[in-house]
Amino acid sequence: MLELLQSIIVYSFVFGSIYLLVSLGFSLICGILRIFHLGYGLSFVMAIYLTWMFMTELKLGVTLSIILMILVQFAVGMLIHWGIFQRYLEEEEKLLTLSLLAYLVFAHFANYRYPITAGVHLPTTIMYGALSIGVTTISYQMFIAAITAIFVTLVFVFIFLKTKLGLIMRAVSQNLRGSMLMGVNVGLTYWYAIILSTIPPIICTLTIAPFWSVDPFMGESMLSIAILIAILGGLGNLKGSIVASYAIGFIHSVVSFVYTSRFMGLVALIVTLIMLLVKPEGLCGAEKLW
Amino acid sequence: MRLLYSREAITKMQAVILVVIIIAASVGAAVYYGTLPRPEAQPIKIGFIGNLQSPYSLSAKAAAQMAIDEINAAGGILGRKVMLIIEDSKGQVPKCVEVYKKLVMVDRVLAVIIAENVEMAVAGIGVGAELYPEYPHILFSTIGSGDAIWNHVKDNYDKYKFVFQTYYYTSTGYLTVLAKEQLPDLFKNTVHATKVARINEDMEWTKPIRYGLPGVAPPVREIYEQQGLTVVYETTVSRDQKMFVTIFEQIAAAGAEVIDCSVGYIDEAAFVKQWSESAARNIPLYIWGGLAGMPVAWNLTEGKVLGVMVGSSLVRVPITPKTIPFMDNMVNKYGTGPIFGSHTTYDTIYGFKKAIEAAGRVDDVEALIHALENVREVAVLGTIGWHPRYHYNLPYPYYITPTIQWQKNGAMVVIWPSNLATGQYKSPAELRGG
Repeated sequence: MLELLQSIIVYSFVFGSIYLLVSLGFSLICGILRIFHLGYGLSFVMAIYLTWMFMTELKLGVTLSIILMILVQFAVGMLIHWGIFQRYLEEEEKLLTLSLLAYLVFAHFANYRYPITAGVHLPTTIMYGALSIGVTTISYQMFIAAITAIFVTLVFVFIFLKTKLGLIMRAVSQNLRGSMLMGVNVGLTYWYAIILSTIPPIICTLTIAPFWSVDPFMGESMLSIAILIAILGGLGNLKGSIVASYAIGFIHSVVSFVYTSRFMGLVALIVTLIMLLVKPEGLCGAEKLW
Repeated sequence: MRLLYSREAITKMQAVILVVIIIAASVGAAVYYGTLPRPEAQPIKIGFIGNLQSPYSLSAKAAAQMAIDEINAAGGILGRKVMLIIEDSKGQVPKCVEVYKKLVMVDRVLAVIIAENVEMAVAGIGVGAELYPEYPHILFSTIGSGDAIWNHVKDNYDKYKFVFQTYYYTSTGYLTVLAKEQLPDLFKNTVHATKVARINEDMEWTKPIRYGLPGVAPPVREIYEQQGLTVVYETTVSRDQKMFVTIFEQIAAAGAEVIDCSVGYIDEAAFVKQWSESAARNIPLYIWGGLAGMPVAWNLTEGKVLGVMVGSSLVRVPITPKTIPFMDNMVNKYGTGPIFGSHTTYDTIYGFKKAIEAAGRVDDVEALIHALENVREVAVLGTIGWHPRYHYNLPYPYYITPTIQWQKNGAMVVIWPSNLATGQYKSPAELRGG
C-alpha cells in the first residue's frame, strides 16, 4: 500500500508538472488577450519541425537550430497576432477558425515534408538513464522536465507578481478599459504576451521530446491538455492552471495505478465535467490572470 | 416553313437527306467500333484503394505499381497489359465506398485492392457484395489483419466468395501459430522467461487475442498458460495514449520476465522511449508489429529501441529470391521503403497473376476464384496462396515474418526463424552495458 501511494505521489508530481508546462502559454493568452487560441498547438509542432529542418537542411548544430527556431516562433507569433488576433478580435468565429487553420496548415505541411519515414526526432536529452525515488523509477529526462516546468512557472509567477510588465499584464487582464485610461499601451502589452506565451510550449517540447510522441499532429493532443486544464482551473487564470495541472496529474496517476491507464483521460474528463457543474468558473475563477 | 409543316408525304428532297444521314451514321459507327481494341486486347484493370495521406497505403501503392510495371515489362498476363487505377479513400469509410463503386461500376476493374485497415476492408466487402451479382469482381484486402474480413467468407461463402485476405498474420494465425508455437518457444528457449506481462492495444484486431475465437482458440493468456508460461500482468492501452510509464512500473512490480505487446498502431516511439528508461527497462520487450519493426525506428527513438524484439518484414534477409530485389527496387525505383502492407500487396498481385494464368481467362470470375483457392506462388515473404475455403493467405510456414532484435548501432538482427537468423538474442541489459 505504501509503495502504491509513493508511486502515485511521484507520478502526480511528474504528470502535473508536465501538464503545467503544456498549458501555461494557453492560460496566458486566455487571461490577457481573452482569446481561446485554437492554434496553440502550432508552437509545439514548430518547435520540433523547425528545429529539425534547420538541423538537417541547413546543417546547423542543435543549439543554433533551437535559437533560430525560437526567433522564428516569435516572428510567427507576432504575425498571427497582427494578422489574426488584432484584425478579428471582435469576430470570434473568424478568429477561432483562422487560428486553427494556421495550425492545420503547418501540421499538414510538416506531415508532407517530413512523414514518419523521415525519422524526425530532437536530440535534446539532457541526461540518460533512470533514477529511483523509493520504489518508483523515473527517467532522468522526465524528472528534469518536471523540475524545468516548476522553474518556468516560478519565473512566470515572479514576472506577474513582481515586475512592472507583469503587473501591467494583470491590469489589462482584469480591466482593459481601466488600463487604457491609466495610459497602458495595450497593443504593446499584447505583443509581450504573445512572445511570453510561446516560451512554455517551446521549453516543454524540447524537454519532453526524448520521451513523448513526436509527430506533425501532436499539437492536437497538447491543445486538448491545455484546454482541459484551462477550463478546470479557470479560463485565463494562472493560479488555476497550476492547481488544475496537478489535480489532473493526480487523477491520471491514481487511475493508472489503481485501475488502468487506458481510462486516465476519460476519468479526468468526467471529473472536470462534474467540477464545472458545481463550480462553472473553474477552481480558481475565470477572467483574471492571478 | 412550308417544307417543315407540310401535311403531304415527305418530298423527294427530304427522302434524300434522310438516306444520307442514315448512311453517314452507319459508316461512322462502323469506323468507331472497328477501331476499338478487341476485348481480349484491352488491359486487365486492377483498382487500388488506400489512404494516400498515410505512409502504409503509400508504400502499398508503390508496391502495387511496381508489381504491375514488372508484369507488363514481362509481357503482361495472358498477353494483355495490366492497368492500375488508384483511388484515395482519405481514410474515410464513405469515401472508400464511393470510390469502390466507381472502380467496379465505371472503370469495370477485375479486382479491387483495399490497402487499409480492417474497418475499411469490411466497408468494401459490404459494397462489393451488393455489386457482385451484376459486376463480378475480386476483392483483395492486403493490410487489415482482423478476422472480420475472412469471417465473411466463412459465414457465407456464396455471398462473399470474391473476398481474399492477405496479411502477415490474421487473428486466427496469431492465436494458432504465433501465440501457440512461436512466441512460447521464443520466450522459454531464447529469452529464458516464463513470467509474461501482456499489453494489448484496444483495437478490433486484438479482440480475438484478448477474448479468444469461439471454436478456434482461447485468449492468448490461456494459450500461454497451456504452453507453460505464467501471465503475471495484463492491460489494454488506447491508440491515442501517450504515457505508458505507470504500466512499466506495475510490470516491474509484478515480477515479469518478458513483456509481450500485441500492438501495432499505438505511439510505439513514445512507448519504447519510455520503456527504455523505466523500472522495466531490463525486462525484454517483444512487440508484435508496427513502427518498432521499421528501420526508421532507430532514429525516431534515438536508439532507445535497443534490445526490443519485434516481428518485422522490413529486414534484409533473403526469405526467397524475390525478397532483396523487392526491397531494393522499392527504394531505388519508387522512392519509398517497404512498410507493412507493401509485401502483402505485391505478393497478392503476383498470386492473382498466377491464378489468372491457371484459369486461362478473365471473363469468368468464378473460375478465377477457384484458381485463387488453389494457387501457390513464390512471394517476397515465402509462398503466397489462400485457404481454399476461408480465403485468408496461408500463414507460417508459407508466409514468414521474421523476428528481429535491435542491437548495437541500429542493427536489425534476425533471431527467428533459425534458418534466417543473422545473430543471437541478447538481453537489453547486456546490450546497454556492453
